[in-house]
Amino acid sequence: MASKPPPGHFNILYFATAGSYTAKNVEALPAPLPLKKLFGTLEERYQGIRASVLDHSLVTINLTYVDVTDDEASEDGDQIVIKEGDEVAIIPPVSSG
Amino acid sequence: MATEPTTTEATTTNPEDPTTHSLSEEACYVALTDLPLDIKSVTDKVRSPEAGAIVIFAGTTRNNFATHPISHLSYTAYHPLALRTLLSIATSLQTAHQLHGIAMVHRLGEVPIGEESIVIAVSAAHRQAAWRAGEDALEACKARVEIWKREVFEGGEGVWRANRDGGRGERVG
Repeated sequence: MASKPPPGHFNILYFATAGSYTAKNVEALPAPLPLKKLFGTLEERYQGIRASVLDHSLVTINLTYVDVTDDEASEDGDQIVIKEGDEVAIIPPVSSG
Repeated sequence: MATEPTTTEATTTNPEDPTTHSLSEEACYVALTDLPLDIKSVTDKVRSPEAGAIVIFAGTTRNNFATHPISHLSYTAYHPLALRTLLSIATSLQTAHQLHGIAMVHRLGEVPIGEESIVIAVSAAHRQAAWRAGEDALEACKARVEIWKREVFEGGEGVWRANRDGGRGERVG
């Protein structure tokens, strides 16, 4: 699907409404990036995407769903960081069938 | 950070049909394809001499949404994740309903009105389990599988649908 991201980057895939909003299916963003900063980073690039798309979407990293809470209070010690070469995807509400 | 799946699944692609991607495990078969769906070939995946019933569901594309005339529908998928989710649904239903076989195939790309976008076939010793499993399979698929439907209206405007709440996605012009 997407080609390998350049060194120091990860790929992010935009499906459905996310792809319409960003006008692209995939792009490479600089890594590492703490997961809790992902939505803020995207909002800087695509103003309004958070309320329109991200707040209703799920996120996967390397095909595994992750919990995106930028809730600073959750200090589990195992804060997820998106790494170089990872494949992140924005998963809006699905509509198969 | 991702944990590897515990299944022994392998994505297979038919060299004569590069648009079809499938996963299978024991009596479960799931696939995504850009080609028109063939109900008989999906049904044949679940045939078993021990089965007393095969239930087949065919979902077809409707020509309107809330009275808006639709010219066609187009589906996209996150292929590897959608296949993995489909297989997970299939294997859990096989166990729950003691199925002899379950096959779920979804079509992607443009699907003309009135054609099948999904075909599900399940086989079981008795009809009750097959009926229930067939319905459960479709509902789980619509709720979870990473596939998206874009409805294109007469005139060219399109919207991404969301199954959840029967809602409409964002207008995409």
